[in-house]
Amino acid sequence: MSAVRFIDVRKSYDGRIDAVRALNLAVADGEFLTLLGPSGSGKTTTLTMLAGFEQPTDGRIFIGEEDVTRVPVEKRGIGMVFQNYALFPNMTVGENIAFPLMVRGTAKAETESRVARALAMVRLDGYAGRRVQQLSGGQQQRVAVARALVFEPRLVLLDEPLGALDRQLREQMQYELKALHGRLGVTMIYVTHDQVEAMTMSDRVAVFSAGQLRQVAEPRKLYEEPESLFVAQFLGESNTLSGTIESRKGNQCTVALDGGAHVIATAVSDESATHLALRPEKIVLGAAAASCANRFPARVVDVSFLGDQLRLRLAALGRDDLIAKLANAPGLPDCAPGTAIEIGWRAEDCRALAQ
Amino acid sequence: MPSRNRAYWLIVLPAVLMLVVLYLAPLGDVLVTSITDPKPGLANYALLFTSGSVQKTLLTTARIAGATTLFALLLGYIVAYAMRAATTQRQRLMLFCVLLPFWISVLVRSFAWLTILGPQGPINAALQATGLTDEPVALARNETGVLIAMVHVMLPYAILTLYANMRGIDAGLVSAARSLGASRLQAFRMVFLPLTRPGLIGAGTLVFILSLGFFVTPAILGGGRVLMVAQYTALQINETVRWGLGTMLAATLMIAVLGTLWALSRVIDVKRLFSA
Amino acid sequence: MNRLHASGPIVAFAWLVLGFLALPAFAVIPVSFTDTRYLALPQEHWSLQHWQNFLGNADWIDSIGQSLWIALAATALALVAGTLCAIGCWRLSSALSERLRSLMILPMAVPTIVYALGVYRLYVDLDLVGTALGVILAHAVTGLPFVVLTVSASLANLDPRLEQAARGLGASVQQTLRHVIVPNIVPGVLSGAIFAFIHSWDELIVVIFIGGRALFTLPRRMWDGINDNLDPVIAVVATAMILFTLLVLIAELSLRARRAT
Repeated sequence: MSAVRFIDVRKSYDGRIDAVRALNLAVADGEFLTLLGPSGSGKTTTLTMLAGFEQPTDGRIFIGEEDVTRVPVEKRGIGMVFQNYALFPNMTVGENIAFPLMVRGTAKAETESRVARALAMVRLDGYAGRRVQQLSGGQQQRVAVARALVFEPRLVLLDEPLGALDRQLREQMQYELKALHGRLGVTMIYVTHDQVEAMTMSDRVAVFSAGQLRQVAEPRKLYEEPESLFVAQFLGESNTLSGTIESRKGNQCTVALDGGAHVIATAVSDESATHLALRPEKIVLGAAAASCANRFPARVVDVSFLGDQLRLRLAALGRDDLIAKLANAPGLPDCAPGTAIEIGWRAEDCRALAQ
Repeated sequence: MPSRNRAYWLIVLPAVLMLVVLYLAPLGDVLVTSITDPKPGLANYALLFTSGSVQKTLLTTARIAGATTLFALLLGYIVAYAMRAATTQRQRLMLFCVLLPFWISVLVRSFAWLTILGPQGPINAALQATGLTDEPVALARNETGVLIAMVHVMLPYAILTLYANMRGIDAGLVSAARSLGASRLQAFRMVFLPLTRPGLIGAGTLVFILSLGFFVTPAILGGGRVLMVAQYTALQINETVRWGLGTMLAATLMIAVLGTLWALSRVIDVKRLFSA
Repeated sequence: MNRLHASGPIVAFAWLVLGFLALPAFAVIPVSFTDTRYLALPQEHWSLQHWQNFLGNADWIDSIGQSLWIALAATALALVAGTLCAIGCWRLSSALSERLRSLMILPMAVPTIVYALGVYRLYVDLDLVGTALGVILAHAVTGLPFVVLTVSASLANLDPRLEQAARGLGASVQQTLRHVIVPNIVPGVLSGAIFAFIHSWDELIVVIFIGGRALFTLPRRMWDGINDNLDPVIAVVATAMILFTLLVLIAELSLRARRAT
């Protein structure tokens, strides 16, 4: 059963431009789903509609079996963690966490034991009496999480909750949130614009751009098998080559590049005009290229040494901005600038995507 | 380094001299006169406890200032809240409506109210035209008139102070409360209202102390029937030339106002109150 | 999600209160065109008779002149002293200078009647009662807080290192003030000037006490008019003052907008 379903949801603020268009998305029970995209892509609007702060212009939203499209915020039973934590400064840590229980009329003894458990869960035992202003950013974050979980909501929404933390703390909190999710089994929907964060934490990632859901998939699949040029470029790095599909055979196709050369690639697009997306680490050099379906002569233009890897700029196929990454492992070929070398890649690693 | 600072102390000096000679010295003189005229001692201050007319004036002053504060806070809170919730464009228009009367002199505004509330004014004209009354209703030259005009004068102070406070409150907190299960009313009562407490205290104190010393509005709209302490003080000097009583009342007023401000300064930053 | 919600009735009530605030400014305007001899809305037709009375009366015109030049002189004094003081306190930013700046606000807090009594006694001793100089000095010192506050607000946005940089490059204190600090706080200084001007232009209570028999500024003549006989010509004066204030307010708001960018 799905925990959340968006059915043909559209949202327009001004009646002309759609902030979210034709969204269909189902979230599985207990899943950790991340909505990923640049700012203005519609991911936050989607979350805001699910939380109930905004109403969709068209379409319906279900939580479990219940149509919540017109249900007011406070009746949706969603735990939410906000970007800037939104802790109530007029209340102590304990009062903040007790807030959702208090407005639900939970008995005092029950409230106290639940608050204590929630504090223990985020490793803040004994902090109940503190003022929120006395806490560090990471501690405030944990209070916000405890407050969102204390009333055992069926669904937890997290809106860029780690954006304000420094990198080290962010990585630690990513791990803690993920562990909490594993332990409680509650469905979590997470919004971020940080692709590494999305990849690290999620069961699945939904990529948004310009109000549209572009692809939903497990992190690895999203990276290895992007279905659009946007996804290929937004997640990690891709070389793109434009051309025309000349023939198809099974799931493979032959593409004539604008420069004239021919490349064998995995066909994703149905149209003939195409962009080829090729990850830099999938390009192999020298002798290793011999077994590849695609082989071309190239010249090394520039080399950067990044410690664990080498980053090469290559001139090939009539251009000089092809990027390749080589792991700093034994048996590196000679690749000083100016070296002529053969490069190659497999058809599976090169995807012919729609324009 | 010290010589460099000396230059800056020097440029502070003219203002300080002006303040000391032309402002603080006269205030000191008022304090001294209140305990030396007609003869040294606290006889003037004893009048606070013995004179019926002094007590009546103080009571009237406290009553009007209190009522003004109450109305200004209530109406001001609603306006400030609506402003906080409005779009930027609306906010600008609303702010203009608040600033416009704020800038027009109290004398002109009090006169305007006298015109509006007077027996031949538009309100009475409207009341009689609709047949609600035959006789003009006494709206001016009594406490009602004073109160209406005082609330009008004080409202902008209340609104601006409350609005400044509300602008500093993250609206996301109210959203957070709602997402955690609070109704609109609960979110307001348990989160927003407590956070505006400093604004309410600040606005309330400001309006109250400004009301205490009001002279022009009660004089014009009270028609001589509603005596507040400032006008009563002026009468002692201009009509009966009782400097001892006059300076005593002035000193009492000043001590009450500065004492309140001092108490308030322990809670909030008073300087910001006056920067609106 | 980051917008506050206000329900329809609340917003409607707020606009009602705003209407109450704006009402008096507009109510006196038609009264100034009344065809009656008392304060009322025009009964049969709009008339310019009271405007003619106002403009033809040498006393009123004289008062405008007095008010204007007293306000200009008081503003100039308050502006120079207040601006220098604000800059000094900003640059020193010690506990003592902070105290000083708080002290400067005193004239805004202490009820004017208290000061009026005190300054009257001082001026009797100095023989300044009934002189323009006396009023100018009193208005200048009570106008100081407006200048200090607005200029301080402007300075708060100015990087203190600017001053150090100028001095480090060899500028004297005077040169630093003239070429670096003052040009950067012009909007604040102008705002302060407008406030100080309006303060003097509108001031009544002190003038009642120290104006003597010679000085009748516009507010004082209006005050006497209200107390003696409620002539509609006062509605004309009030209208003129409202229009004048409106002009100044628009100037100030545009300054504020400039300061914000």
